[in-house]
Amino acid sequence: MPESFSSNNITREDILNKHVLPGDLAMWFFILAELTVFAIFFIGFAIAEQQNSILFSEGKKQLHQTAGLVNTIALITSSFFVAIALNVMHKNKGKRAAYLIVLADATALIYIFVKLWEYFALFEQGIGIETNTFFTLYFLITMFHLMHVLLGMVILLFIAKKAFSGEYSDTKISGFESGASYWHMVDLLWIILFPLIYVI
Amino acid sequence: MSYFMNKSTKLAFISWLVLIVLTLISVYLTLFIDSRAIYVGVALLIVSIKGQQIIDIFMELKHAPKLWRMLLLSYVIVVPLIIGLIYLV
Repeated sequence: MPESFSSNNITREDILNKHVLPGDLAMWFFILAELTVFAIFFIGFAIAEQQNSILFSEGKKQLHQTAGLVNTIALITSSFFVAIALNVMHKNKGKRAAYLIVLADATALIYIFVKLWEYFALFEQGIGIETNTFFTLYFLITMFHLMHVLLGMVILLFIAKKAFSGEYSDTKISGFESGASYWHMVDLLWIILFPLIYVI
Repeated sequence: MSYFMNKSTKLAFISWLVLIVLTLISVYLTLFIDSRAIYVGVALLIVSIKGQQIIDIFMELKHAPKLWRMLLLSYVIVVPLIIGLIYLV
């Protein structure tokens, strides 16, 4: 059967072809604002690194790159679960979507634990936010991102609860899409943050 | 409809796989590339490709109004480009 035909007449493909922005417009403006703030942090970090290349190179060597890699995989996987949860929600399977969102949240917990482990490992070495410019920026940027992850996890739990109790449907899904988009933004930011601070 | 949903999920899975593989490549790039300039360039190019996957597939902006899609896509092109210029120029 062609994709554009179904017993319900209107398919997901039809919805996508209407070129509608997923979620609330206000959420997208919020996402743009958040991306702009992080862009300033990223560019500021690169400029500071260019001016203190030896200090930053030494600082990066003290970071746990594998921990950063594990966190990248955790956030990408969490984002994947949210993406398929949205697909499932479009099928009006709220409970299944809720389980997938909880799974996404559980995967994000890996990120939280690894990040905290990283912080405490640095603290034990006597490294803190005031150690030098590199670690000031490292803690500032990663803690700011961590706060966004925590907020995103709360938003995900909120939409999971609503999906479980049947408050979303294929036609009433804007809130779900907004929460999912926010979570993908958190992932998108880490995709830039990880190579900038840990790898390059 | 269910067939289309399966296709969407399959697309998301492929995207997830691409993101994981690109992440691993970017981490182990230093094993294959000696030149810092090339290494930074490739790592930032990978950032742009990964960003495009998240925006188009996970965020589902591939079918969104062009202005919004372009705004988000330009972010994952312009920010790595500026970072690259700062590092390499």
